[in-house]
Order: sequence, then C-alpha cells, then structure tokens
Amino acid sequence: MSAVSLDAVSVRIGARTLLDALTLEVAEREHLLVVGPSGSGKTTLLRTIAGLASPDTGAVSLFGTQASDGARMLVPAERRRIGFLFQNGALWPHMSAARQIEFVLEHAAVAARERARRASELLEWVELRGFEQRMPATLSGGEAQRVALARALAVEPKLLLLDEPLGPLDFELRAALLAKLGELQQRLGLTVVHVTHAPEEARAIATRTLRLRAGRIEDER
Amino acid sequence: MSRPLVLLAAALFVLLGLAPLALMAARVTPEDLSALFTSDAAPLLGRTALYGLGVAALALLLGVPFGFLTARTDMPLASVLRPLGVVPLFLPPMMLAMVWTAVAQMRGAPAAYFVSALSTFPLVAVFAARAFERIDARLEDAARLVGGTRAVLRATLPLALPPALCGACLAFVFTINDFSVPDYVSWLGLPKFSVYADSIYATWRIDARAGRAVAMALPLFALTLLTLVPALALRRRGALASVVPDFRSSAPIALGPWRWPAFVFCAGLLAVGAFIPLGRLLWEAGGGHKGWSFGELATAFSMALERSRGDVRNSVVSALATASACVVLGLVLGHALERSRRARALEPWLVLPLAVPAVLFGIGIVVLWNRDATAALYDSNALVAVLLTGRFVVFAALISSGAVAALDPSLEDAARMAGVGPPRRLACIVAPALRSSLAGGFVLVFVLSLRELDATLFVPAANHTAMFRIFNQIHFGRDGFVAALALLLVFLIVLPGLLWSLFARKRLELLP
Repeated sequence: MSAVSLDAVSVRIGARTLLDALTLEVAEREHLLVVGPSGSGKTTLLRTIAGLASPDTGAVSLFGTQASDGARMLVPAERRRIGFLFQNGALWPHMSAARQIEFVLEHAAVAARERARRASELLEWVELRGFEQRMPATLSGGEAQRVALARALAVEPKLLLLDEPLGPLDFELRAALLAKLGELQQRLGLTVVHVTHAPEEARAIATRTLRLRAGRIEDER
Repeated sequence: MSRPLVLLAAALFVLLGLAPLALMAARVTPEDLSALFTSDAAPLLGRTALYGLGVAALALLLGVPFGFLTARTDMPLASVLRPLGVVPLFLPPMMLAMVWTAVAQMRGAPAAYFVSALSTFPLVAVFAARAFERIDARLEDAARLVGGTRAVLRATLPLALPPALCGACLAFVFTINDFSVPDYVSWLGLPKFSVYADSIYATWRIDARAGRAVAMALPLFALTLLTLVPALALRRRGALASVVPDFRSSAPIALGPWRWPAFVFCAGLLAVGAFIPLGRLLWEAGGGHKGWSFGELATAFSMALERSRGDVRNSVVSALATASACVVLGLVLGHALERSRRARALEPWLVLPLAVPAVLFGIGIVVLWNRDATAALYDSNALVAVLLTGRFVVFAALISSGAVAALDPSLEDAARMAGVGPPRRLACIVAPALRSSLAGGFVLVFVLSLRELDATLFVPAANHTAMFRIFNQIHFGRDGFVAALALLLVFLIVLPGLLWSLFARKRLELLP
C-alpha cells in the first residue's frame, strides 16, 4: 500500500497551473526528496497532500484512504493526522515552546496530565530540554525549527511533510537537523516528503529524488 | 474559515447595517426624486464638496509633515508627540468648534474649515507615519547611495503617499457628512455656513418623510461612495506595499538645525488641536470671565456628575457594548475578507452604512425598529449599541483584515494540521496574534461611539447620552457645567487609549 497516491492531480489559480495532471506514488517509510526551481509547484504539492490546497481535478489518497476527489475534500486537513514542518517554523508567537505542543495534544484529546509529560518528552527528543517556557521570539533559528519539528511530531503522524525546513539555518545547524530527521524517520517508521532547494545536503537520507518543473515531474531518480 | 460562522456574522451585519438602508431606499417615490431637481441641492452639494476638498487638502498639508517628523526623524520628543497626535481626532469636532469660535471669534465658513482640518489632520498623520516607518532600511540605503537625504525622500515619499491619500479621503468623507460643526457655527449668527447634511436634517425635521430625506441624501451618498472606493484601494496598497518578510527598520533621519523648528511645528499643531481647546474648557469650567477658582471648578464638575450621571452612564455602556460587538463581528468578517476570495465581495457592502449620511442612517434605524414587536428594544439603550454597531463595524473589520494580511498564513495552517477547528483557530491562534489590532479596533469604535452625535439625533433612546446633552445645552447658553461635562467626556474618550499606553507593551493599531 502506498503512503501517498496522487492520480492526475491538477491545481490552478486563475490562469496559472501550479500542478499539471501530476501522478505520484510514495511508498511507506520512503523519504522522497522534491526539488525544482521556484514556482515549479513543490510547495503546492505538499499543501495538496496535506489538504491545505484543494485540487481542481484528480484524486489524492493517503494510506489507502481517498482524501480528496477533484475539488471535493473527503478528509479535511485537520483530520489527516499529517505532520507538517513549515519553511519558517510557523511557531505561534504567543505560546511558549511547551504550550505549542500541548495545544496540539489538546486537539488530539490527550488528557491534561499527560500533555505536559509528552511535551517535555518531545522537546527532549529534539534536544531542547529546559526550553519549555521559552517564547518563540527568544529562540534561535535552529531552536525554533526543532520546536516546530517537535510540534509536527506531536500528533504521532505516519506521514511528515517538510517544506524547505533547513532554509533559514546555517551549515552546522542544517547538518544537525538533517541527522535528527534521519534518526527520527528510522525510529518512528515515518514516510517523509521533503521539499528542498539544496538537494545535495538531504540526499544522504533520501530514498528517491523527484524534480518538478511547471507542475510536472521532469525527472526521477 | 468556518462557513456557518461567516454566514452568521454576515447575516448580523445585514440586519444591523444594511436593513435600515434597504428599508429607507424602498420608501423613495418618483416624486421625491423629482423634488431633488427642483430644490437648491446642486449648489449646496457643490459647496459641500468644495468644503470637503479644502479640508482634505489642509489635512494633507498638516498631516504628512507631522507623520513624517514624528515617525522618521530625530526631532526632540518625537516618540511622545506621535501618540499625542491622535488626540484632536478623538475630540468631538463640535467641542473644537465651541472653543475656537469663542477663543478666536471665528464664524461661518472659515471657522468650519479651520475646525474640521484640525479634527481630521491626524487621520492623514497616522496613515503617513505608519507608512514611513514601514519602509525597509535597504530601500533607503539604496537611495542614499544614489543621492543622499534628498534621494531618500524622493524614493520613499511615493511609498507613503497612497496611505496618506487614503487618510485624506477619509477626512473628506468625515467632513462632508458632518452636521454638527456647520450647524454650530451657523447657529452662532451671521455669516451662516449651510452644508448638504443640514438640508437632509431639515428635510426630515420639517416633512418627517423618509423618502424625501433619502432622495435628498442620494447625491451625498454617491459622493461619499466615490471617495471611499479609492480610499479602500489606497489602504490595501499602502498597508502592504512596503512590508517585506525580513524587514529591517531604518535609523531616524538627522534633521540637524531643523530639529527645533520641526518640534515647534508639531507641538504647535497639537497645542491648537488639543491643548488650547482643553485648557479653554478647563478655564470655562472654573468660572471663566467671572474669575477662575478651584471652588468653581469643583462645583462645575460635581454639577456635571450630578445632572448628567445617567447620560454619561448610558454613553459609556453603549460605547462599551458597541466596541465589544464590533471587535467580535469585525474579527470574523475581517478574517474572511482577507482569507477568502469570495468573502472579499463583502468589502464594498461593509462601507455602505458609513457612506450614507449619519443623519439618514439614524432615520433608517427609526424606520426599522420603531414597531410594536420591537418596542422594548426601541425604547432601550440597547438600540444605541445596535445603531452604532451597524455604522462602525466596518472600522473593526478593516483593522482586522489589515492585521490578518500581515499574519503568516502558515500559523493557521499549522493549527489546522493539528486538528484545530475554525472557531478555535480564530480564538486561539488568530485573535491573540492580532491583539493590538483588536484593541485598536475596540478603542477606535469606543471613541467614535462616545463622540457620535449626527446618527443619534432622531433616535429617542440616544437622546440620553452625554454628547446629546452637550449638543442640547450649548444651544441654551454656555456655562461651567457644559465645559465640565465636555471635559468629562474627553476624559472617558481618551481613557482606554491611555490605559493601553500605560500598561501594554505593544503599540495600539488604530488604522483600518
């Protein structure tokens, strides 16, 4: 069974075609690297899988369940249980590091007593023990991305979508975060779809690389 | 965004803001329209448009330099003068008219132009100041390398001009729809200064025919709408044009020997627009020409509190209710305006209650709610909140939508991916991130509600407010009581903004 299956998916905004009848299969536990120039449809692909963008035509299935059929959303984004690491982390500026995670757990119906423990555990996983009460404005770029990663993992997803997560970081932090991602994927058996501008760095942990151009697959290896 | 929530908010807006107008429009007969062509409406409209243009030009002339000097230069006390710059906007224009006609013995058109320009220049100043401070340092640096400070001004002025023009458009709209200032300066004696809003008021007062009053208001409505449409476009351009994600703010521009002349200009403008009027009211409350004393001042204030306690309470309660309702409704509508392409079609409808002359909107409220089934509401103070919410919700919605435009959509996406539903996303993610804008919307609507007079003139429930009491009282002579009541009202108007400045660390976002 494929973790992600896209069948002739097209996404248009006005006259612009962002994804053009794209068909794609991602196997379970695969780490798919998606590369391509700006405007090639990389982020739209992730948003379509997540349910944040709705396709005009085509079907999206996740782990054998059809999630959308054309423009009809069968499983809305909030019920897909997908982890999404945004380019800038997208940390909520008014919540502490621990609260970011607890807020997610609240919506996964985790008991109040359990939430604080799980938040600490997740922060420890990303090597941010003691950062529980730190606000996003006081975190460095790397720390913020690790909090965002912990938050994305809080829903215990089987599928993790990464939208250029290393973009704003310097070389050392990129290497450290990549190593952490590889380790987590192995340990949790995650399927990862990873959009990046710098494929050479992530190639070591990727199982396949896909090159997009103008919303179509140009090359695959 | 949740569709039922947006539909509920839109339905409430239709009931509060559009239904009074729709009912009024239905009462216009062909006779009413033909009467428009036989009356002296055209010259009056021309004079009113000229009045609005003159005031908008003066507001631009005063507001742009004030905004630039307080936001972008090393002028002494710039950070103190900048927030004080909104005080003239907060003062009811009629109060400024009361003072300046007495202090400078001004009458007729010059008095109306002077008072309205003083009252509206802060609209331009706050828009211009925000635009100037949002220009990225790298843009200025690039210009500075080309041709120094002069090149910086030439490069940045076009970026600040659209928002400043948006402020000028709003100044025009406020001026041509204002009834209180021309009415007051004309009431003082010759020379009279009649404007179009007067004639709408008189048409209803004499004929009590809604259709005739609506027909009379149509040209003014068209003029207002014609101004608000470009104002909205300029607002969108001005709010977003100069903001980049990795924004770098610029260092203040050194004025050199011009620092103190600049200070004199800004402080002088504030003195004329706020401090002299407030000082004069304080002087009048303490006895004025009869001899000033603290005893007289205390007597005037205790008399104001004793005789107008109920009016003041009604004003505050209805302003608080209006501001709260507008913030909640404005958040839902403003978020939908920014995040949904379909909801954007709502924007022109939102400005309609503000585009019609205030007097006419008040009459619409009477026509809509003066029925047996709604008699309890019609007679209660709640109707004032209903009236003011319908009229002012546009400000809260536009402030919210402007703030949502600057909010990273991925914050909401992240919550959505975590399984958070639309109402909770709005309450737990969007609202906290927008708190200074929501507080700004609250303060703005609170202030506008407390100082509103024109829309409330014909609504019986609104005849028991502090502003109406002052309006009534000044027509029966001025004394310490009126001055004390006016000062009390000013204190209440500036109180929320003052509390925010003292206790909040973020700046209040007052701009739509």
